[in-house]
Amino acid sequence: MTTNNKHPDVIFIGQPNCGKSTLFNAAAGLRAETSNFPGTTVSHTHSKVNVNGKILNIIDLPGTYSLNPTDDAEKVALSHLFQEKPDIMINVVDASTLGRSLEMTFELMELRFPMVVALNMVDLAEKKGIVIDAQKLSNRLGIPVIPTIASHGRGIKELLETVVRILEVKQVPPVLTWSRDVEEAVSDLMESIPEDFPVVANRRFTAVKMIELEKSFFHKMLGFISPELTRALSQVKQDLERMHNVPAYEVIAAERHHLAMKIFEENAKVKRGRVSGTLEKLDDLIMHPLFGYIILLAVFLGFFWIIFKVGNPLETLLLQPFEQLRVILSQQFGEGVLFYLTDGLLQGVGGGVAIVLPYFVPLLFLMALLEDVGYLARAGFLMDIFMHRMGLHGKSVSPFILGFGCNVPAIISTRILESRRDRIITALLIPFIPCSARTTIILALVAFYMGPFWAVGFYFFNMLLVGILGRVISMFFKTPSPGLILEIPSLKIPSLRNVVNKVVIQLKAFLKFAWPILIAGSVALGLLQFFHLDRIVNIVLSPLVVKALGLPQELGVTLVFGFLRKELSMIMMLQALGVNYQALMTAITREQLIVFTVFVSFFIPCLSTVAIMWKEIGRRIALISVALNVSVAIILSIIIRLII
Amino acid sequence: MMSLIEAPRSKRLRIFDVLGGHGIRRRLLSLGFHKDDEIVLDSRSILRGPILIKNLTSDTSVAVGRGIAQKIMVEIIDDEQ
Repeated sequence: MTTNNKHPDVIFIGQPNCGKSTLFNAAAGLRAETSNFPGTTVSHTHSKVNVNGKILNIIDLPGTYSLNPTDDAEKVALSHLFQEKPDIMINVVDASTLGRSLEMTFELMELRFPMVVALNMVDLAEKKGIVIDAQKLSNRLGIPVIPTIASHGRGIKELLETVVRILEVKQVPPVLTWSRDVEEAVSDLMESIPEDFPVVANRRFTAVKMIELEKSFFHKMLGFISPELTRALSQVKQDLERMHNVPAYEVIAAERHHLAMKIFEENAKVKRGRVSGTLEKLDDLIMHPLFGYIILLAVFLGFFWIIFKVGNPLETLLLQPFEQLRVILSQQFGEGVLFYLTDGLLQGVGGGVAIVLPYFVPLLFLMALLEDVGYLARAGFLMDIFMHRMGLHGKSVSPFILGFGCNVPAIISTRILESRRDRIITALLIPFIPCSARTTIILALVAFYMGPFWAVGFYFFNMLLVGILGRVISMFFKTPSPGLILEIPSLKIPSLRNVVNKVVIQLKAFLKFAWPILIAGSVALGLLQFFHLDRIVNIVLSPLVVKALGLPQELGVTLVFGFLRKELSMIMMLQALGVNYQALMTAITREQLIVFTVFVSFFIPCLSTVAIMWKEIGRRIALISVALNVSVAIILSIIIRLII
Repeated sequence: MMSLIEAPRSKRLRIFDVLGGHGIRRRLLSLGFHKDDEIVLDSRSILRGPILIKNLTSDTSVAVGRGIAQKIMVEIIDDEQ
């Protein structure tokens, strides 16, 4: 809660696609991401604003459909809300879906924290034929309702001034009561909650959440519950279920729903029969069973074409200064330990700047653009049928695409998947997606020495492998995927600011997490070389490298320690063989080149990917992932060696 | 009464029940799909692919996989009445 020396915490909370982050950005100036694909905002953003001399600490939470989370991204939002009690909440509501959105507004009101409703996108609602009387709605709800148009910055000043005013008077929302029997059930349970129970927000909210929440999340939020309370809870649930003939949580949901519909009808005028505009016609084409796929294919091909067109020249351009610096270094330090240390450091930094970023940033930008337009959700819809073949569904499409840039944010973004099963399968498959670092290796080795068709073939084979592995992995799960439930938001004109902000957020995951590990690995490898430990490693690994894979013994270190700095495997290979790029084919054969590329591509992705998997999905899955990658890399390389 | 898979396109339907487990019911509820809501199946659909539902009550669109569509029971709203 507010203390005198701390700025009040103002959280922005709302359903996905309500324009919440756009509103947040408009309020904050910059520094948040917005998204048109449910749930990709997986971390929250802070900013400070000055409203007529009063400083507010504003926080943007990921979009959530309700306070009963169904996926891990929503759980993140709610843990924050419950644990770090905000001083005031701004509930951002999409005016064009007010009826549905009010249900969450009621849930938030039940918290009885001070709050203000931002009735956003009123212009869009009016286009849809929905006119809302904000003042009347405000009177009915007992909390301020401010109409806003975030994309035009309209209503923001009034919204923030209202926030300051409500903070001063500490006005909390009233309780909106439900049907008598439900109210009685809730108050019965409230009485059973012991005096010293660690309630969330207030006793009524805690009781309601006990009835509503899924058990596991509920325990995490509320901790230990005495046997007496558990008994009282199941009694109340049984009573509700008997009276209404549906699960207890649906009784509560129905209460909010009926109230929402009633209040919506009282305060809004709806004119039916609107004409369809250009965007709707475009939407018909995008979702068409035939043209939709042609467009999808064109979008993906164009997507990768642009990335390579931008990335490749940029990579060459950015690598030069690092190479020059290296030459200077070796002249300065000779062959001492200092050279190996600084060289490792330089290569780690350079690998990030010159190899990952040129491909990753354009990919993030294009992906954010597709997302903001609303195309990513539609791609999920169209791809669903293919994803089913590998035991997943359309929502896994976006983590996979992200994986082509960098596996680390891709694994974080699996939080949008509702079921743990889908999350695990998707996370296990992501390391098989060639990230930008591995793409540069494929381009430099396969495309350069063997021709572009071999590279395309390699990609095709790679995708096929992901499909087959998906099928195999999903066999280990008894339960099938719960299936696709994905909101398809209206198409909209993208906002450059939203797109840029989104790129910045995703990039942070790479800069903060993957890059430092990359640099550390690079330095470690430099030291390994200085102490000549690489020779020992080569000898130890020679049965695998020489006997099984048929590669020169010198490549042992490159293969195994490649996971410390994957993006530099190729440079390491050249160093190990003691040749330059142009002369590579004098040192190894075409067959060896393919085996090397296959092994490097599918071997343990990189240290950062393993680390993020450990953190996000768990130790066991991270270890399984490593084992899976090692075995697939070895088996595939041997098979390929035998057939070519 | 029929499942969404058997239901006709572009006709007003009313959600009668959701047969699935709690996960599905909760997810649909949070997306604003309740019993008695009026919905319309979008005419655009892919053979054996997911189904697009437009909820007329809350004015939102949701794509659901066929497995889930099978579990959503609906009845046709008679326009004559």
